[in-house]
Amino acid sequence: MLEIKNVRFAYAASDGLALDDVSVVVRPGERIAVFGVNGSGKSTLARIANGSAKPISGEVWADGERGVDLVRAVGYVRQDPTCQLVSARVFDEVCFGPANLGLERREVVARANEALARCHAEHLADKGTAELSGGQQQLIAIAGVIAMRPRYLVLDEVTSHLDPRAGEEVAILTQSLVDEGVGVLEMVHDVCSALGATRVMVLKGGRVAWEGAPTDFLGSARALDVSGLDVDPCARAICAAVRAGANSEDCGDPGSLAAFALAHGIDRDVLGMLGQRSEADASPSHHELALEAATVSYGGVRALDAVTLASLKTVTLVAGLSGSGKTTAACALAGVIDPDDGAALLDGVPVRPGCVGLAFQRPETQLFADTVADDIAFGPRNIGLGEAAVVAAVTRAAHEMGLGDDLLGRSPFSLSGGQRRRVELAGLIALGYGAYVLDEPSAGLDSFGRNRLRAFVRRLARGGASVVVVTHAVGEWLSVADHVVFLRDGRVASSCDAGDAWASSAPYEAAGLPVPYEVRVRELLGGGACG
Amino acid sequence: MRCVSESSWGVVLVASHAALGTYLSGNTPMHRLDARVKLVLLLAMTVAAFCATSPPAAVLCVASLAVCLAVSHVSLGTVARGLRPAAIVLVLSFLANAVVVAGGADIALVGQVGASSAGIWRGTLAVARIAMLVGFALVVSSTTMPTQMVDAVSSLARPLGRLGVPVGDLAMATSIALRFIPLASDEYDRIVLAQRARGARFDEGSIRTRLAKRVSIFVPLVVSLFRRADELALAMGDRCYSGDGRTILIGPMRLVDWSVLAGGLVFTVLVCLV
Repeated sequence: MLEIKNVRFAYAASDGLALDDVSVVVRPGERIAVFGVNGSGKSTLARIANGSAKPISGEVWADGERGVDLVRAVGYVRQDPTCQLVSARVFDEVCFGPANLGLERREVVARANEALARCHAEHLADKGTAELSGGQQQLIAIAGVIAMRPRYLVLDEVTSHLDPRAGEEVAILTQSLVDEGVGVLEMVHDVCSALGATRVMVLKGGRVAWEGAPTDFLGSARALDVSGLDVDPCARAICAAVRAGANSEDCGDPGSLAAFALAHGIDRDVLGMLGQRSEADASPSHHELALEAATVSYGGVRALDAVTLASLKTVTLVAGLSGSGKTTAACALAGVIDPDDGAALLDGVPVRPGCVGLAFQRPETQLFADTVADDIAFGPRNIGLGEAAVVAAVTRAAHEMGLGDDLLGRSPFSLSGGQRRRVELAGLIALGYGAYVLDEPSAGLDSFGRNRLRAFVRRLARGGASVVVVTHAVGEWLSVADHVVFLRDGRVASSCDAGDAWASSAPYEAAGLPVPYEVRVRELLGGGACG
Repeated sequence: MRCVSESSWGVVLVASHAALGTYLSGNTPMHRLDARVKLVLLLAMTVAAFCATSPPAAVLCVASLAVCLAVSHVSLGTVARGLRPAAIVLVLSFLANAVVVAGGADIALVGQVGASSAGIWRGTLAVARIAMLVGFALVVSSTTMPTQMVDAVSSLARPLGRLGVPVGDLAMATSIALRFIPLASDEYDRIVLAQRARGARFDEGSIRTRLAKRVSIFVPLVVSLFRRADELALAMGDRCYSGDGRTILIGPMRLVDWSVLAGGLVFTVLVCLV
């Protein structure tokens, strides 16, 4: 039994408590799902649970072991796989943990092979860890931990950087470990993760704000409110069903949720909760971004194969699985990659780097200056604005993104993920572009941050900019999009109006993407283009 | 080779794998041979190549290199490319042996300057030796992964542990360096991309402004690599790394490895004696 008892923790003496009197118990074969908004203390709790952070007060026990021995009993997988791979070769990576335990060589190799087989990753054994996709890296990170045969596992938002298909694989693997008797403490943000959990806990401001059974969680307005999920359409729809008497199984997949809703006459309610689409009017002076027959190859591999994205106005989603060429398309549209063939055009003129605002999936990538203010000023200084104009641009952009003056003098790396995202976007709007390309802008944000981001994108579009959002989470962006392009293997698999992707599986199936939960429910309940 | 991966970073990473040596993936008998055997025999052949002076010894050396190249599917073109960095040294050592300035040359060129046939033979031999060593070294490096090389060196160096040399730590440090080479190049590409996207032009302006722009890449690069190193240290701690008591993963040598080692050593002794 993994027991965390009345734990308090602070990162520095001057900071407030990151965890305040938190207690959790995880028994073998249980999965505890922990919800909470960004900065609520989820990651800190994960670190406490495996003993790598020492609480100020309180205790952590795993089957009678504590302190330095915890790390042997409790495996830990982080959100970002690239930070936790320590070896250059996959097989060495999986052997790393067991070898540290000082096991016999034969045992180490046997465990590594078994762990790779569990993760369906035997074929990757001889690959370099740097050449894997994000999803593969996360599977290898998990394999490296389960090869140590921990009795408990702490998973810190392990699917948040993965595409839906890789995310499903990880969820299935987690469930099979739970079935074998591993106790799992999982930090999550997707409402579906609550389904099938043994218990749900919600952290808010470092305290346990709610605790109980999954169905109670889904049925409780207060639990949803403190977890920040009350603004998540999927969560609201599932809640509506649970309040009408649905259990976890009824909500587990869109098919049974729709059947339940129809049987209990709450289909209108559920559809209402799933939200409405807001279409933006294209202003007459709208900027127009386009990719014309663009081909990009890297060492013989075609990342993009004659891709044409014609006249992108207002808000366009570019969707696809990892490796479909989305990011390459984003870089080509923003002019930072020159296509081997074809061209990117903004209002008919070839795009040069710096003409289109480009935001990367991980805001850290974009931040490099000493202070937030300098970072936002980087672009305006590059285009040769005078210092007074730079200051004005920084102030305006910081205000627009809700960054207070207290943040401007801090290092961007000392900020939370959500704050970094806002600094990154402020750095873009300080330049006032006519077109923006945002690559997976909502990765790692909580529901509240996502809502705010969608509203921001909508505002940009109303102001006459064209915005391309590159994402694998199509469902959550449909409400503000006008057009969707599906990429597959470097080609355009299909494209349609966002209204046609709102309540129909067909475009997703054509692109080999899992159908988003809310889209499938709408389709089954006959929720047409505008709710 | 340039290759691209759309990894979780979400940024197109263009990494040059040339930095990691010349490993060519494959499954030839030479790939499967234990890395320790390859390293020991490379050392032995280096000695033999310098001991071999008689024509039959030279023929044996060339023949054995030809067999190794054929078995490991390394082309002569690759060997020629491997020789390129050493070309100037090779040309100079050939000339130093062959050209006679103070008279007594049997082939007169200009005035006192000429070439001696004995010198030409000596020069050819010197060049041939170096070419042969490059050939053998390429056979080893193109059939052995860098990680295997690290394992082999640390396993061979294990006796030094008794003299107080921290062999395990050194091996871990080397293998982490291997992990950081692609990380550093990815990180560099990312920062350049991010700055270009916000209007930085690295190919415009005076040399001074260009240098200043380069500095604006390297400062964040170093900062971020330190951050990555901290994260890596944490990740290693999470997986129970403590520096000692680690299982040594390189396995016992198979019968075929022992036989190749014995055969190879006998062969090199033979080359030295004929």
